[in-house]
Amino acid sequence: MTARRIGLAAVVAAATIASAAPAFAQATQITMWSNWPDEPAKKDWVTTRVKDFEAANKQCSVKLSFIPKADLYTQAKSAVRTGQAPDIFYMEPDQPEFLAGGFLEPLDSYVDLAQYEDWSKPAWTSKGKVYGLPVEAYTVELYYNKDAVKKVGVDVPASFQLTQEQFTDLVKKGVAAGITPVSQGVGDRPFPGGLLLFESLLRKLGIEDYGKLLNGGLSFKDPRVVEVMTWMKGLVDAGAYPKSFSTLKLGESHFYFYNTPGALTFPDPSWFTGRAFAPPEGGGMPANFPLGIMQFPAMDKGACPDCKTLAVAGSFVMYSKSKNKDCAGALMKSMATVENGTKWMEQVSLQTGLKSDPAKINSPRKDYFAELNARNKNVKYFFGTPLLYYRAKCAETYTQVMNNAFPAGLLSVQEAAEKMDSACFKS
Amino acid sequence: MTSISIPSAAEEGAQHAAPSLADPRRASWWVLAVFLAPALAVYIGLTAYPAFRTFYDSFFTIEGLDATFVGLDNYRALMSDETFWVSVRNTFIWSFIAPVLDVVTGLLLALALYAGVPAARFLRVAWFTPVLLSYVVVAILWMWIFNYDWGILNAMLRAVGLGALASSWLGDPNLALGALIVTHAWKWAGFNMVVCLAAIHSLPREVLEASELDNCGWGAKLRYVIVPMLRPTLLNLYILAFIGKMKIFDLVWIMTQGGPLWATETVSTYVYKRAFNWNTFDLGYPSAIASVWFVVVCAAVIILNRLLATRERLEY
Repeated sequence: MTARRIGLAAVVAAATIASAAPAFAQATQITMWSNWPDEPAKKDWVTTRVKDFEAANKQCSVKLSFIPKADLYTQAKSAVRTGQAPDIFYMEPDQPEFLAGGFLEPLDSYVDLAQYEDWSKPAWTSKGKVYGLPVEAYTVELYYNKDAVKKVGVDVPASFQLTQEQFTDLVKKGVAAGITPVSQGVGDRPFPGGLLLFESLLRKLGIEDYGKLLNGGLSFKDPRVVEVMTWMKGLVDAGAYPKSFSTLKLGESHFYFYNTPGALTFPDPSWFTGRAFAPPEGGGMPANFPLGIMQFPAMDKGACPDCKTLAVAGSFVMYSKSKNKDCAGALMKSMATVENGTKWMEQVSLQTGLKSDPAKINSPRKDYFAELNARNKNVKYFFGTPLLYYRAKCAETYTQVMNNAFPAGLLSVQEAAEKMDSACFKS
Repeated sequence: MTSISIPSAAEEGAQHAAPSLADPRRASWWVLAVFLAPALAVYIGLTAYPAFRTFYDSFFTIEGLDATFVGLDNYRALMSDETFWVSVRNTFIWSFIAPVLDVVTGLLLALALYAGVPAARFLRVAWFTPVLLSYVVVAILWMWIFNYDWGILNAMLRAVGLGALASSWLGDPNLALGALIVTHAWKWAGFNMVVCLAAIHSLPREVLEASELDNCGWGAKLRYVIVPMLRPTLLNLYILAFIGKMKIFDLVWIMTQGGPLWATETVSTYVYKRAFNWNTFDLGYPSAIASVWFVVVCAAVIILNRLLATRERLEY
């Protein structure tokens, strides 16, 4: 009797193990590297998407890591060569070498591309295939302190766009009042120092010629470019930027703008919200800060005062040598939905390359969104920032010259133009 | 009286016949191989092969998974690469001049301790502590010190009425390299101090006492007795510092990333930029830079050895 019981138990146990084995065998773990370890709202959005996916797809699990962008890129560059890259990783369109090297998997057969905004697709499209999931998008905005600008005696017009002369006046009045006119720092980023100049160049040249400038088809010695650079040099010499411009980090320039010592304006991509809307005790903007958004100044005889830069930033891509493409593709498909686009807008207060439903956005930052939308109404978008176009030595020269030395007052207009032309102009 | 025993031929023969592990000169080849293999494997895998592979890659352009043989093209391009030459100049300035600062500072600190300054024990620990800090910590610390708005350096200048001298120490191309050199010297002064202090303590007392009997003052004793006798140590420190600075990367990368306007670009930071920040997967060109620089460092060390070791034998 006992022997029979033992035998029966053994059979039951064997059957249980046998039935469970396929489930274990099917459980596939994929790896995913994301940026944004220090941006709680974005980190939370990614984490929630992954958890939702795991709950709905028991056969897949995700090993998710958050890594600072610079480290992530360095690690990814080594890992893709050796076949050890994660199945899904964070990438921005300004890293085209991954696509050119054949390390990215086309997503056309995995995700529903109808869930993408039409303007966001070109950022990741190559030879008719789409390679990235454009989660984060942004416009380049000119934030300002409403009270401080009023205090120095400048009225922002109803168009929310100052003329070239009015902006110069704002800078001079700010300096006279002891308030830094433009909070900006390039201590840890290769782009912020060029925001004001290149947005001004876009408005001066218009979309077509600005595109030529960024593609090396227009010289920095073009009279229109020189005119804008000369105006910019005047602002720099007048004291537009903080004295610590070269070493001030992006996070510090946020604090500089809305906290100590304070500044009149802050040119920044609309991902401004990632830091600004963090709790004040965590370095975020004070609750009662009089934040406004104005257009970048209209250039004299500018070809396109209504132009503005729009770009795709944080995206996710799939490794072409991934051994778990089914799970990885399923995760990306689950992320690319209108619902998730809406949640991104709601949680992060930032644009997204995914479609979203504005009617369903329930954000405590509604006023901010209303103002951001108003500044983006009836504008003509130019797609991409300079570093999306500039490569290799040209990108390095942009970083050293236009991002740093020129706005820091270390170079003349002619010197800066010559350095840029020698690195970027395809004569 | 010491007696010396000479082994007989028979005894010698017996020893050859029974090789002993205690005497490596008499161990058999397979025993030697067993003991050498791990170290050789590590050396070949982690040093020799990567070095050879870097040299090999320098003759290719590597895009993605495809390598194209380009011969000496990378080396030719290097010769006309303006940024490379700027980085060479900066690295040479750093490597030849900064070690003097390092060694002199270390020597002065050691002499201060040797002379018995008050709180010598505390100072010895305090001066050595920066050696224990990582470059990341040192870099962040000095970035605060150099901060234009609230850094202690500018704050002190303003406090003593020299506000006009307050500068963006890391943002001005004329000052940035000097600021980095000072930071690096601060980190390593303690190491040089310890070595110099040990060397001073090992100087023959009778020579120092003889100089005192001859009414030799501190300055003269330092110049004519101590420094000449410390010369081999100081030269060793100089060459060690020189080699370290030829490879400097961490501090520059954290504090300035080679800017402003390439004023602090070193060969190492440029290799890194070309390898990882250049919107390309090509490792051929950075390998060419690394290969050239490897030869330059070796040549420089050999030349320094020849120049400086004419009278004294170097000990490293």
